[in-house]
Amino acid sequence: MKLSRRTKAGAAVAAAAALALVATGCSQSPAADDDGPITLTVTTFGTMGLDGLYAQYEKDHPNITIKATNIDTGGNALTDWKTKQAAGNGLPDIQAVEEGWLGQVMGVSDSFVDLRDFGANDIKDRWVPWKLGQATDPKGRIIGYGTDIGPEGLCYNSKLFEAAGLPGDRAAVAELLGGSGATWEKFFEVGKQYHAATGKAWYDQSGFVWNAMVNQQTEGYYTKSGELNVKDNATLQGLWAQLADGAKSGLSSNQSQWDWGGGKAFTDGSFATFMCPGWMLGVVKGQVEAAGGDGSSGWDFADVFPGGAANWGGSFLTVPTTSKHQKAAAELAAWLTDVPQEVAAFQAAGTFPSVVKAQSDAGVTGSSDLTKFFNDAPVGQILGSRATGVVAQFKGPDDSIIQEQVFGPSVKEIDSGTDGTTAWNDAMKLLDQLVVNK
Amino acid sequence: MSTMTGRAVAPGGTRLTLRQKLGRWDVRYSPYLYVAPFFILFGLVGLFPLAYTFVVSLNKWDLLRGPGEWIGFDNFAAELADPLLWNSIANTFSIFLLSAVPQLIVALIIAAVLDQNLRAKTFWRMSVILPYVVTPVAVALIFSNLFGEKYGLINNMLQGIGLDPVLWKTETIPGHLAIATMVNWRWTGYNALILLAAMQAVPRDIYESAAIDGAGAMRRFFSITVPSIRPTFIFVIITATIGGLQIFTEPKLFDASSSIPGGVFRQYQTTVLYLWDMAFNRGNFGKAAAIAWILFLIIVLIGVVNFVLSRRIASSESTRPARRALRSSRGQR
Repeated sequence: MKLSRRTKAGAAVAAAAALALVATGCSQSPAADDDGPITLTVTTFGTMGLDGLYAQYEKDHPNITIKATNIDTGGNALTDWKTKQAAGNGLPDIQAVEEGWLGQVMGVSDSFVDLRDFGANDIKDRWVPWKLGQATDPKGRIIGYGTDIGPEGLCYNSKLFEAAGLPGDRAAVAELLGGSGATWEKFFEVGKQYHAATGKAWYDQSGFVWNAMVNQQTEGYYTKSGELNVKDNATLQGLWAQLADGAKSGLSSNQSQWDWGGGKAFTDGSFATFMCPGWMLGVVKGQVEAAGGDGSSGWDFADVFPGGAANWGGSFLTVPTTSKHQKAAAELAAWLTDVPQEVAAFQAAGTFPSVVKAQSDAGVTGSSDLTKFFNDAPVGQILGSRATGVVAQFKGPDDSIIQEQVFGPSVKEIDSGTDGTTAWNDAMKLLDQLVVNK
Repeated sequence: MSTMTGRAVAPGGTRLTLRQKLGRWDVRYSPYLYVAPFFILFGLVGLFPLAYTFVVSLNKWDLLRGPGEWIGFDNFAAELADPLLWNSIANTFSIFLLSAVPQLIVALIIAAVLDQNLRAKTFWRMSVILPYVVTPVAVALIFSNLFGEKYGLINNMLQGIGLDPVLWKTETIPGHLAIATMVNWRWTGYNALILLAAMQAVPRDIYESAAIDGAGAMRRFFSITVPSIRPTFIFVIITATIGGLQIFTEPKLFDASSSIPGGVFRQYQTTVLYLWDMAFNRGNFGKAAAIAWILFLIIVLIGVVNFVLSRRIASSESTRPARRALRSSRGQR
């Protein structure tokens, strides 16, 4: 190859120019003009039911383009958020945050925009009060707009109930388990009756039951003031003993959670009840369908939950401070969590609204594919009833570690036949190892 | 560029013109410029992360909140005293041995079979490499399903012939065996092909004369084939070791829904998985960096052992050819 010096100089200039182009392409102008064309990036996860709504917003706001990313599971989304948060780079304009992450999110709440600067105070009565409370950081800044909540009801299989000589009708099932005064004692007692009649398990595995037990306390793994509250916690120990006794009596089917043999466990009669927050109803339907079943498999949804009201999960839309279009992002987040949009999300994905007016909307209380699958149970109405009395629990920084890594192994132990005391002590050892002396 | 190198020879005695100086610099420094991209890239993505990880490991460093106080080697001390680290190292070596040993033996046998005069040679050779083409993620998902405790095919068959189901995902040794199976399925054929290539290079007349002297097939295999492919075998062992110590995907996806990566009791959590868990689930970046460095040192140590062993084996085998080569190179000078 033979290049004249001039050509080389020209090439060098061209290369420098190309570099400069790349450089300018990377840096957006910081003076964001909200009237000019802007692009908002949104990151969500799982099935939040928002995907169909973006096009409508773009139509109403011609200057806005929405670039949405949906990550398959909450766990992967958490890793994604943590990585980008740690790098201080790459976060979207709107980041969906799950309730289980709150402990970690609140530790860095300064890196989220205080939505009161963009009109949060005008719309804060939209949500059930405890949902708003969860999104408020210790300094009183509102950092998230609630999308859905996860009030828990009881999924049960009416065919299996009837085969065991128990009532199959959902009102009678609620009555059988104690109605509004349902307790865990009663739940395990009826479970033992069922086991005696059929020899089969009562629930799929102990993890979700333990989750519900802890979530419905006013104080869970942490006290309100943020102190660890696990060791010598008589309430938790008492509940653990009940759970271990249930597993020992053969009430747990010892399934692997989130797998259930590709859904087969839901159709082969392995267990008769299942802990069901609103968003779980879609999961049950999906599992049954994956195993080749349908509405005739007998699953139903009862307006009762042992131990009182419980909430599991639910999400928020936040605006990270790295966003260059904070005002526009906050407006979009407010719109996505308004009544019509939350109703649409419920119809698309079964996510029960955290907005009070949406909960009683005909679109939520009426019939849908989901109600048809659950033997025409008025799913929206039942969830609305299950949502009353839910308390917002303080989630500490290591809440999810305690739930998954400290109690996870012990839950598997009692399901595999280890006695409750040994399993509890093993959990306390892990607590010291992973949380106390970290 | 050939014209530029021609300009390098400056006429003796006279002052160099700028043009000549440039030409001389060109010769002297451009080679460094040409190799620079590799070293710049290596510095950016190899050396810098290594050094930075070391700096991180000396700090209390939360993933989200960033660097805290400087604590020297406390993270290393804490990790070396942590039973969970040793658990992960034991798991790594157990899975490595369970996979590498049977894998290499079977690969050797397959290679020996393929080395015979078979019909449709290419078909058989292509077939053994097929598992290698499948991505590890797909392999892990399929095997995870096969090894399911309640609904998996393998346990169904065991129960079909009246045996107890095996708790592949709860108990330690069955878990290690299942993961080793995935690794073996993927890598045996690959190693067999490399060994086959070495076997093909063994001169056929040695076999013929051995056969004439009355050596049977087994004798020929152990006395001719195995010693002849020893250098290749060492290469295969080294690559299998490096791969084995970095095993991640298979145990991560073996029980994908588990809340703890590597099994609920960490019964098949390898060191790389433990590192990942420490960084991204438990959020302790400082300790994760310390684990990364401990793993790095272990791999370096094993690399050195490998190097020494293979040098010893290679030199004891090829002393005479080496000497001959030395002599001929001296003669050339």
